[in-house]
Amino acid sequence: MSSPFDINGGACVAMVGKDCVAIACDLRLGMQALTVSNNFPKLFNFGPSTFLGLTGLATDVSTVSDLFRYKVNMYRLREERNIAPQTLANLVSSSLYEKRFGPFFVSPVVAGVNYTTGKPFICGFDSIGCIDFAKDFIVSGTASEQLFGTCEGLWEPDMSPDDLFETISQALLSAVDRDALSGWGAQVYIIEKDKVTKRLLKGRQD
Amino acid sequence: MTSLVNQQPHSEAIGYSFSQSTHAPNKQHSFYPYTDNGGSTLGITGADFAILAGDTRSVAGYNINSRYAPKVFKIGGDDETGEGAHILLSVVGFAADGHALKERLDAVVKMYKYQHGKPMSVRACAQRLSTILYQKRFFPYYVHAILAGLDEEGTGALYSYDPVGSYEREQCRAAGSAASLIMPFLDNQVNFKNQYIPGSGEGHALEPKKAGPLPRSTVEQLVRDAFTSAVERHIEVGDGLQMMVITANGIEEIYTPLKQD
Amino acid sequence: MDKLIAQYTRSSHQNEFYSEQEQHDLTESHPPLSLKFSLPPIDDSRAFLRAMTDDHSNPSCPIKLAHGTTTLAFRFQGGIIVATDSRATAGNWIASQTVKKVIPVSRLSRGEDKPTDAPTPGLLGTMAGGAADCQYWLRYLSQQCTLHEIRHKRRITVAAASKILANLTYGYKGYGLSMGTMLAGMTPQEGPALYYIDSDGTRLPGNLFCVGSGQTFAYGVLDANYRYDLSEEEALELGRRSILAAMHRDAYSGGFINLYHVKEEGWVHHGFNDMNPIFWKTKLEKGEFSNVTSEL
Repeated sequence: MSSPFDINGGACVAMVGKDCVAIACDLRLGMQALTVSNNFPKLFNFGPSTFLGLTGLATDVSTVSDLFRYKVNMYRLREERNIAPQTLANLVSSSLYEKRFGPFFVSPVVAGVNYTTGKPFICGFDSIGCIDFAKDFIVSGTASEQLFGTCEGLWEPDMSPDDLFETISQALLSAVDRDALSGWGAQVYIIEKDKVTKRLLKGRQD
Repeated sequence: MTSLVNQQPHSEAIGYSFSQSTHAPNKQHSFYPYTDNGGSTLGITGADFAILAGDTRSVAGYNINSRYAPKVFKIGGDDETGEGAHILLSVVGFAADGHALKERLDAVVKMYKYQHGKPMSVRACAQRLSTILYQKRFFPYYVHAILAGLDEEGTGALYSYDPVGSYEREQCRAAGSAASLIMPFLDNQVNFKNQYIPGSGEGHALEPKKAGPLPRSTVEQLVRDAFTSAVERHIEVGDGLQMMVITANGIEEIYTPLKQD
Repeated sequence: MDKLIAQYTRSSHQNEFYSEQEQHDLTESHPPLSLKFSLPPIDDSRAFLRAMTDDHSNPSCPIKLAHGTTTLAFRFQGGIIVATDSRATAGNWIASQTVKKVIPVSRLSRGEDKPTDAPTPGLLGTMAGGAADCQYWLRYLSQQCTLHEIRHKRRITVAAASKILANLTYGYKGYGLSMGTMLAGMTPQEGPALYYIDSDGTRLPGNLFCVGSGQTFAYGVLDANYRYDLSEEEALELGRRSILAAMHRDAYSGGFINLYHVKEEGWVHHGFNDMNPIFWKTKLEKGEFSNVTSEL
């Protein structure tokens, strides 16, 4: 029996650039070797410039994303403002830890630009909510090892949004091409302070 | 992220590639003759050269056994100096098996030379290595081997093996514990996978960038980059980078230090 | 008791130097593709091997062997089409995207294709399961076929060749060999002949086989469109399309499409082509694979 993290496959990566961040994911949903869907985005929007990426068990990806949609909507109603990426990160962390002894099988990634300070922010989590703050990049999913290699090799500090898009795309596509369980196309969001660009990448279909 | 995050948090074993050997001996099978000594190797070929590189760290579990244990060997040369060798072999996995394999191949290549009066071609050596590995099909050498040299036309030749001897000639190959980190980077930077020629078309009409042999300076830099990247994210890789470059003029060895943490 | 005695009477220096056999192997100018394999010094070598290398029963096994494949071959009026993917996986890791899974089994070719358009006489073997097992035993078969040719002054029949291989795998049954191979060839005695041989010792003649993790996907396309009287063009296209379907849906298949046509005079190679451009061409021009979005 394989690990619940590896049943459906999928990969996600976030990167920091100069006054911008990028977050990208693949589109595959599988049942072990069998590819079931080519259109299963793992990125979810929780505010004008705040995104959450979720990889792992697909049922938990859906559940957790819905759970956070509910929680973030409640936050917005109570506070009458959008949630900041830092706040979302802490919300994710505490929510996941509530399930310490029966966790969701997901590895979340948060990426966004703080709308008050304008500072880019990314972080990753384990399945029970330990936050991993990073200044460069965060990876998760079945292709995480491959992503570590490509990101570590391609990333450099203070990239412009265009360079960041190219870097994150190359890193993700090359990484998922070496992982049997992820790929089949990809999505990229480039997040700047007042602009979000969404792009679909044409990936290998094997 | 690697080890802690991707494991099930309540599983007892920590996420580590050779937890079996470092923890209590496997309960089901008490005969466990292997140790993973970690490390990584990497080979890239060019038009008139081949580079084979490896880090020099040797580990057992979380312990570092040695900071200078070479993984790349000259085959068919003088025992002490390696002079006269024309083939390179890198082995990663269980160092003792790797060493035994190297000794055996070295003996074969030398015997070939004495018997035939000419050095063994890389192609022949590659096939022979496959047979040697397969002779231990039911008690495998725990190694991932890479063989490098120059073929009959003088172009760089690189052959990679699995532990029981299936082999293939390739442009570039990474093996060992950090292979999964290095290989996708190489696909992208050596074979230009996922790279397209800007302005060659719109959308589906974009033409992919064609891969060709790279110049030696570029390849050397890529090898260094690949290893410095691997050192950052893999604990079994580090200490030193041993690069062997084989050209028509012979074999050149370059050593550069890597991070020791 | 015998075992106990054997265990304690073995001299401790027995393996210190090369044994006579090993010395012989080293000095012998032609290394034998011998059937002598070293076994681990324990009672149950099969269990050992399974523990070490079988990632299916033991996912954390230390020695991961390459697996995962789609291969197919079918007979039609113009000969036999053989098509394979080119991916090798170890667990979820894609170890290689450029494996040559069609192995020529014949006197002259030694596993590497010669750059010629002329048909090359001989058989073709396909590779599924353990890469090393297939490579080694098909090479061994190649040797046996050559010897047969020298002894009998005529080419071996596919039936005989497949029997050699099947007898071999049957002899090693239970030792952990892993191979699912198809032998395709055309001889004057048999016409186009196709056999399936696997590591259990199975040997089956047939019209149409798909082998490997993606076999079901390939069968789906192949069965739907297969006729014995396909033209050569149609047959090649069907082979290509079946492999493409399997590469698309099966995670452990992918890479390049390797196509061969076996005719009366020998086999002809019809390319080792990246699946990705072929996939997008099939999708955009013929409107197939509508499950994939093409708006970028």
